[in-house]
Amino acid sequence: MSFGAPYFTLPEFTYHKPKTLKEALELLDTYRDEAKVMAGGVGLVAFMKERLMSPSHVIDIKEIPELKRVEYREGAGLKIGAAVTLSELENNEIIKKKYTALYQAIKKAADPIIRNRATLVGNICEALPWVDGPIPLIAYNAKVEVMSLNDVRLIPVSDFIKGPVEIDLAPNEIATFIHVPDPPPESKSTFLKFNTGSEFALATMAAHVVGSVKPKEVYLVYGAVSTKPVRASEAERIILTSENIKEAIVEAATKASQEIDVVSDVLASEDYRRHLIKVLTINALKSIFEVS
Amino acid sequence: MSFKYIGKPIPPHDAFQKVTGTATYTIDLELPGMLYAKLVTSTVPHARIKKIDVSRALEVPGVVKVVTGRDYPYRVGMYAGDRDLLAVDKVTWVGHPVAAVIAETLEAAEKAMDLVDVEYEELPAVFDPLEALKPDAPLIHEKMEEYRHSPAFKPVPGTNIANKFTLIKGDIKKGFEESDEIIEEEFHISHVSHCYMEVQNVIAHYHLDGTVEIWTSWQNVAPVRQIMALSLGITHNKIIVRIPFVGGGFGGKAGLGWEALVAILSKAAGHRPVKLVLSRKEQFSSAAVREGFHAFAKAGFKKDGRFNAYNVKFILDAGAYADYTVNVGRAVGYSADGCYEIPNIYVESLTVYTNKIPTTALRGFGYPESHWVLEQIMDRAAKKLGIDPAEIRLMNLLKPGHSYMGTGERLREDAGDPKKVLTTLVDEIGWGKPSEKPSHPWKIRAKGLALFVKGPAQPPNAASSAILKFNEDASIDLLIATGNFGQGTITALMQIVAEEFGLPLEKIRVDYVRDTHKSAYTWQTVGSRGLFTDGIAVLGAIRDAKKQIFRVASEVLRCPEDQLELVDGEVRVKGKPWEKIPLQDIVMGYTYPNGNSVGGPIIGRGVFMSTHTTYLDPDTGQGNPTIFHTFGGTAVEIEVNLLTGEINILKAVEVLDLGKVINPLLVKQQIHSGLIMGTSISLYEQIKFDERGWVINPNFTSYYLARIKDIPREVVGRFIETPQLDGPYGARGIGEHTMIGVAPAIANAIFNSIGVKMNKLPMNPENVWRTIKEQRPDLVEEAMKKFSEHRETVEMII
Amino acid sequence: MGRLITLTVNGIRRSVEVKDNELLLDVLRDKLKVKSVKAACWRGECGLCTVILNGKLVKSCLVLAVEVDGSEILTVEGLAKDGELAPIQKAFIQHGALQCGFCTPAFVLASHKLLEENPTPSEDEIKERLSGLICRCGTYYEIIEAIKDASKYYQLGRKPR
Repeated sequence: MSFGAPYFTLPEFTYHKPKTLKEALELLDTYRDEAKVMAGGVGLVAFMKERLMSPSHVIDIKEIPELKRVEYREGAGLKIGAAVTLSELENNEIIKKKYTALYQAIKKAADPIIRNRATLVGNICEALPWVDGPIPLIAYNAKVEVMSLNDVRLIPVSDFIKGPVEIDLAPNEIATFIHVPDPPPESKSTFLKFNTGSEFALATMAAHVVGSVKPKEVYLVYGAVSTKPVRASEAERIILTSENIKEAIVEAATKASQEIDVVSDVLASEDYRRHLIKVLTINALKSIFEVS
Repeated sequence: MSFKYIGKPIPPHDAFQKVTGTATYTIDLELPGMLYAKLVTSTVPHARIKKIDVSRALEVPGVVKVVTGRDYPYRVGMYAGDRDLLAVDKVTWVGHPVAAVIAETLEAAEKAMDLVDVEYEELPAVFDPLEALKPDAPLIHEKMEEYRHSPAFKPVPGTNIANKFTLIKGDIKKGFEESDEIIEEEFHISHVSHCYMEVQNVIAHYHLDGTVEIWTSWQNVAPVRQIMALSLGITHNKIIVRIPFVGGGFGGKAGLGWEALVAILSKAAGHRPVKLVLSRKEQFSSAAVREGFHAFAKAGFKKDGRFNAYNVKFILDAGAYADYTVNVGRAVGYSADGCYEIPNIYVESLTVYTNKIPTTALRGFGYPESHWVLEQIMDRAAKKLGIDPAEIRLMNLLKPGHSYMGTGERLREDAGDPKKVLTTLVDEIGWGKPSEKPSHPWKIRAKGLALFVKGPAQPPNAASSAILKFNEDASIDLLIATGNFGQGTITALMQIVAEEFGLPLEKIRVDYVRDTHKSAYTWQTVGSRGLFTDGIAVLGAIRDAKKQIFRVASEVLRCPEDQLELVDGEVRVKGKPWEKIPLQDIVMGYTYPNGNSVGGPIIGRGVFMSTHTTYLDPDTGQGNPTIFHTFGGTAVEIEVNLLTGEINILKAVEVLDLGKVINPLLVKQQIHSGLIMGTSISLYEQIKFDERGWVINPNFTSYYLARIKDIPREVVGRFIETPQLDGPYGARGIGEHTMIGVAPAIANAIFNSIGVKMNKLPMNPENVWRTIKEQRPDLVEEAMKKFSEHRETVEMII
Repeated sequence: MGRLITLTVNGIRRSVEVKDNELLLDVLRDKLKVKSVKAACWRGECGLCTVILNGKLVKSCLVLAVEVDGSEILTVEGLAKDGELAPIQKAFIQHGALQCGFCTPAFVLASHKLLEENPTPSEDEIKERLSGLICRCGTYYEIIEAIKDASKYYQLGRKPR
């Protein structure tokens, strides 16, 4: 068990900068386990510095044109390329208007300088328990598009992240796009983050509700409290089946704080996190249902 | 009296280099032929070293040498003398350097350091200082008797006690018998790291002729040379220590760092220069940090509020090496009584070894620790006795010219005006006036205050000196060794020189390099002593230079020396300003029209030596340890979120009696600086250990320190100027003081408002929430209720 | 063994041979001798390695040198023009927005960029934009004052560079 590593240099590797997606996939197909894909590099370089990863080949995808694009189509939704930085997403008007929770998460991610390099896809692939990106994406039912030379898969973000630093990505695959469906018309969403006295969040939450008077769909997604993003399904059911939403909020929040798996780690203890979950849930649900 | 420079807000003299990126720090330096060193550190907390196999490491191309402790079993240190260069027989903490790899490139060194194989035989380890004090605890320093320690300290061989300090005043038993109210509590402070931005780094070149040249990111050159001379047996003359710009020190770069080790590495590597740069991870796990702190306090008060008896046991968790910490332990001990006159005192301060990271001084030097206890005790007593916290302090305040401190030192008449500090503090924070309504009903607002007094903790013979020389254009070079790691003391000293000679500030130069062979000696720049001690030395040098100047001018102008004055860079006869000589014509010697010359290059010399301070009695701690006392106080108005435990400082007031403010801009900097660091340590900072003493948060993501968004919303700094008669222009030191009162002021605010005792630092959200939940669960429940019922929608209510 | 890359650093084209695994931070400091770029954590947490890369602030300890072939880099050495300090540098000096100075180049660059993009930032905006940098000496209040003071030079299109 190693807590931090005292290296200034990176392990040796060969750097590749493919100009097309096909070229990148071919490189990956050749080097497989020995290669790692690099977008913003914020995660990969830090991991290499700590010797948590020592690939012999680094494949930089920042030059591939389609991966640098953000597209929105009414009905289809948002398509975010793997090389789009968080700063670019922060300035995207569609995201600001239609995907409130995602926008809020991006605005609060890391710091503005890191956001000039970090990417949303990279955030998901990093799969550290305390990254914010996956949380609103799961609340929006987003999917990751994963490509290899011969195959394309579309995986829900919630399934893509299997555990800390563990993703459903084969050695010859690249996570190329995130697809976020168009939120239904009566959608309301919010993202909350508690990270006072900490660089990483102690608890985060994305709430997405379709139908703020009589909810048809409810997504309550939590991050940083467990080893991977989790949903409070019983709390969601309370909201869905309640006769009086305003009265159900506290009940749902209490249920959420009890039902999900919560860990104690170097940043916070389990009981405090459970308490924060209740607080964040009440806060999120109130702001969505405009309790006043 | 109107001054041109004294009392003016002059920007720091080296700001230009810093904003243009031309300031050179040790980490920026390289020497030709330089090699790179990396440390191999222990992975076990307490173990005998059975075998170190360096063969695999030596095979890495570019590796020059691998050095282990047994190759050079020197022991170093200035106070406790307990430190090995590299572990010799055993390792005593996870992170203990056991070997050093030296290579042509950093990359080769980093490859090789993973290939050094060490075989350990583990020994029982002890991590809790209270456990380490038990008679059957494993011994960390079995050879303590062999250590060369300073006579000011009392290690207890056969135990884990690196220093035992006792302070006895009056009769503690009687004191408690006479008391009406007894308060008994325990306090605790977590280890914190200095986190100076420039990591410790050293370049050493051990030449074949036995001369050692050192470049280091350290606070002062003198202690480095002194300790190396004593420990390595090299004469002072052959050790040259140089320090360029320094990226922060905060007391953590005082004493001895890695210089002796790197010097030996240079010798081992064939007398080539070697550079060692610590990674941030190693700063957190192998370099010295601030000690963990426990206190068991018992205080007795009379029902009218008089503090009658104070018995406190301080336990410093000093880790595996305690060279500077033994002095901190002593300072914690004799600062226990703070600003108050307490007739009966019994303090025991134990600096205790454990199998954890070594420790050293941090800004405040034990005073934040002792005041964390004392200032909360005052508020406990206030509440029990129904007396206002400001009132109870006023009642017990030391009176300059009358009172005796715990050490038996009589407080001088010119020591400052603690009463005025308190009244100013109370006035500025609006004490007694209720706060505005908090922003939400689950929050509370409260005010708290704390007083403090501090002087430098230095040996009675800690001297300073200054040399002042002129150049042909009458500009002045001030050759001083005063440390320059952000405090601005140098700027203030330059202002004094400019003022005294009537020269523009631009004509005064202090080189950015401190050099044992070129800078006049100063003991250390610690304890906020710089302006006072080095200022007195500089004033001495100024007086000396002026005398020489006037002697020559008196001959040339044919008038008595006492009829001369210096105005605008000229020597003039008083009342006859047309009879004058420009300084340029004197400072290199004066030449008459016919060619006869008198005088010569003017070199001024001044010293500081304290004549009235003493050692402390080894059994009772009685004596006169302090050259000056700076009184001050901190008051805060905070908002506490009872739902999450977050503390938000709305307003902070810092009041200090500085004697004379030489530069209000620099003082403002120190007020802000100390407040921010004090806030950070109070609310966030904590080194976390696992059950093997391993530091589990050795980086800035899991060790949080205050960033720009964490600063108190409003800060008010007030300086009082009650002159210190022997200080430069009446000035006293500031540098550490504004750190001291922050934590207890915040804790007192919470205690005064909701009665919750915050006895542990840091007061981060989780700790605050948990403590309030334990002591006042009703408040946490009510907060949740109010939050649930709250009728307002905002994006993020909490 | 290495690759030849070309960087324009503070207006001057420089070619340098780098290995694939070399960080931009180290190439700038050790090979190109741009020593104003500092490092305190080597992990992207402290921000002292910040440079302006193709017009954007980045932490150079997380960037590979080979990634930025053909790029433009601005550091604090390139701010002064025609022998005069930039307004933001003057403001830092005037307000004493520095103590040990180790973080100063990074804060000067970040403040400069902040004002370029938003000439009249609120205090909250300043705090948010600079949240990725650490000043351990605690000059935050003075930095905020310096930025507010320098703001006038960035308004009305009076861009200093």
